[in-house]
Amino acid sequence: MAQGITQLAPGLISFLKSLKTTPADPSVEHLISLLKRRQIRNSRPCAIATTALMLRVVGEFKGRDAAKLVERIRQVGRRLTAAQPREVVVGNIVRRVLGLVREVLDDNTGDSHTGSDAGHNTPTHHDSMTRPTLSSSISTFSPLRHAAAEPMDASMTSEMSDSSEFNRRPPLLTSHTSYAPTTSAPLVNSLFGLFSQPDDSNASTPTGAASPDGKSAHSLNLERLADLSRSTNIDLKSEVMDGIRELQDELEQSDEQIAGVALEHIHSNEIILTHTASTTVQKFLLSAAKKRKFTVVHAETYPHDNTATHGILLTGRKRETRLDEDEDPWKPLTAAGIPVYVIPDSHVFAIMSRVNKVILATHTVLANGGLVAAAGAHMIAKAAKEHRTPVVVLSGVYKLSPVYPFDIDELIEYGDAGRVVPYEDGEFVDKVDVEHPLYDYVPADLVDLYITNLGGHAPSYLYRIVADHYHTEDITL
Amino acid sequence: PQQQAKKESTRGQKNLGLFFGHLYSQPRQHSMVGASKDVHPAVLALGLQYSSYVICGSTARMVAMLLAFKAVIESYQTPVGTSLARHLTNHHLSPQIDYLRSCRPLSISMGNAIRWLKDLIIKIDPSTPEAEAKRDLVEEIDMFIRERVTAAQKLIRDQAATKILPGDVILTYASSSIVEQTLLQAHKAGVPFTVIVVDSKPLFEGKTLARKLANQGITVRYYLITGASHAVKDASKVFLGAHAMMSNGRLYSRVGTALVSMLARSHSLPVLVLCESVKFTEKVALDSIVGNEVAPASEILSEAERASLLPLEPHLPATHPSKNKAEDKHAADDA
Repeated sequence: MAQGITQLAPGLISFLKSLKTTPADPSVEHLISLLKRRQIRNSRPCAIATTALMLRVVGEFKGRDAAKLVERIRQVGRRLTAAQPREVVVGNIVRRVLGLVREVLDDNTGDSHTGSDAGHNTPTHHDSMTRPTLSSSISTFSPLRHAAAEPMDASMTSEMSDSSEFNRRPPLLTSHTSYAPTTSAPLVNSLFGLFSQPDDSNASTPTGAASPDGKSAHSLNLERLADLSRSTNIDLKSEVMDGIRELQDELEQSDEQIAGVALEHIHSNEIILTHTASTTVQKFLLSAAKKRKFTVVHAETYPHDNTATHGILLTGRKRETRLDEDEDPWKPLTAAGIPVYVIPDSHVFAIMSRVNKVILATHTVLANGGLVAAAGAHMIAKAAKEHRTPVVVLSGVYKLSPVYPFDIDELIEYGDAGRVVPYEDGEFVDKVDVEHPLYDYVPADLVDLYITNLGGHAPSYLYRIVADHYHTEDITL
Repeated sequence: PQQQAKKESTRGQKNLGLFFGHLYSQPRQHSMVGASKDVHPAVLALGLQYSSYVICGSTARMVAMLLAFKAVIESYQTPVGTSLARHLTNHHLSPQIDYLRSCRPLSISMGNAIRWLKDLIIKIDPSTPEAEAKRDLVEEIDMFIRERVTAAQKLIRDQAATKILPGDVILTYASSSIVEQTLLQAHKAGVPFTVIVVDSKPLFEGKTLARKLANQGITVRYYLITGASHAVKDASKVFLGAHAMMSNGRLYSRVGTALVSMLARSHSLPVLVLCESVKFTEKVALDSIVGNEVAPASEILSEAERASLLPLEPHLPATHPSKNKAEDKHAADDA
């Protein structure tokens, strides 16, 4: 039995198993090597692995202050994303965890000091709406205004003078901050914040002459932070871990939640075109198949995903993610009575005139509403546009990334050219430059609807969901 | 085997009804079994070459057919009591054509050539001696090939090669003999340019083209159709071959051509179609579903892919014997 475990092929399952017994640092190394060797690939396994690792990292974190925790998470996150920058999901999860820490802190700040202010008890971060109320009750130079806007940074700059990472953040208005804050932009998180920003920069401009008022505020602040770190350290870790567990639940449930709205989008006798092997799409279609009869046309994404596609069609699951063999036996669509037609990718245009709806799986969704999906997605979406066929993209929120596609080529991964032309054909491979892009960038205007676990959204709305899930200061890890 | 084929075809009729059910008229012939005894050996061999895609591409198929018909005509002897003009087309040529059609549906160019040949035979004066009539026919066929194919291709490639400018990146899809000739001519003329070949399964015709071009010293990049949207980004012109030109101005070519030209259009690239006039037809088409050519679904799954599916067999629910249906057609319509 023990041998059976050691002989497990390296991958997500073996990583999760080893994570139970290995401490955080070797686990980080382990995940980095797995990511580098592409033994864990695709969004979901990467997300699951990263979340599990984050849980471990936070769980093992020993220390008394949040800044060190944030720094630790960032450092792990930086290394993970450097290992495989194109698995954007890894960075997303790290940012979500960082956001969790900030939220917990935010909550506690609100609890311990502005308990009367109801706006701060809610877990919404950066709620700039509440700022005017706050500043009206306290003097204009009060550091609490910063605490409300950037409570994390406020607490950290004063506590963590050794952390160089935070020195560039807008500091507290204290007499010892003699440099001008360089980044007041991250303060602006939403439209509402726009109007209070100039006020902030005014307030944080070091005047040199600190008023007595400012001094008293400073001492008040130190007192408050000392108080804060004492009170939060006890539950900071456990609260963050709870948050990570919630994140794990979200990962687990996002497919079901997306599948839950399937009946709203698929009507009877529809012809649906999809491509590549995706568990999300599979579950979505299966859930619709319980009530409706429709036809699925599946483009196989040759050459890099065709075996997985065939696998998911025949057995209902991807071959690499065979997590728990016996429980929850997945059924292929055909077992649910849905006729499935496999077509090569070249047939997409010919068949599009008969297709009612295109459902795409995705690798990453970008903040501008575009997406990175398996190669071929662009031409499918384009052909759908040409035929005025609606394109629906299914994606868990965890795939939504704050990245903007300024350099599209950077996001595209190139695969093994041997899958296109086998290396046995040495003469050919020698003379001809064989290329094998794995992903396509699909611009936002080709997509009609995004369905996430939060519901359906127009592509133009995605930036807002990004703003709700990631803190601006975490966008660069 | 015949029984099996019949069974297969009835099953095919039943479950391939989604898009192309109307196109599965007869099962495809892959052997000489059941061929009429009148079929000439040259035609028998040709039919097998068609069905196994040894001879592929509408021009090549038409030329090969005419050459085989030359052999048929040369060995033909008019039975007593009839005349060559009356007997040859209806009783001798028809079974040959039927056999070829059963191996693979006739291409538009083949249809055009057959119509021309029948017309020619009917117009033969019954009083002409048989030997002379046969000699005339064979000469006419040679002339047809020379005029409609050889000379036409030379004209096209001379014209098209001038469109290739230094520094161009020419994108082409799969393989077309006339595109190949054009590219080679431009290369021989010393124009520096590179080629991107986009290809697709199951035939991978573009591989042959890429190999030939690379052997001549042209820089070639090779993509499969899934990477087409990346390939067009770098291209500056698109050259396409044709199966037929419809009279409503649409191109009928191998499946996937429409995708490539759609992507090219979205990048504002000029798309040039090289097509001999023998491929023009008065037919019209709006999409690629009404009229098309279908091939057996089994051809899509390569042997390697089939083998990789075998380990999945234990996962199959016992009730469904066949669920991996596939549709194949060999031509797509280009709007």
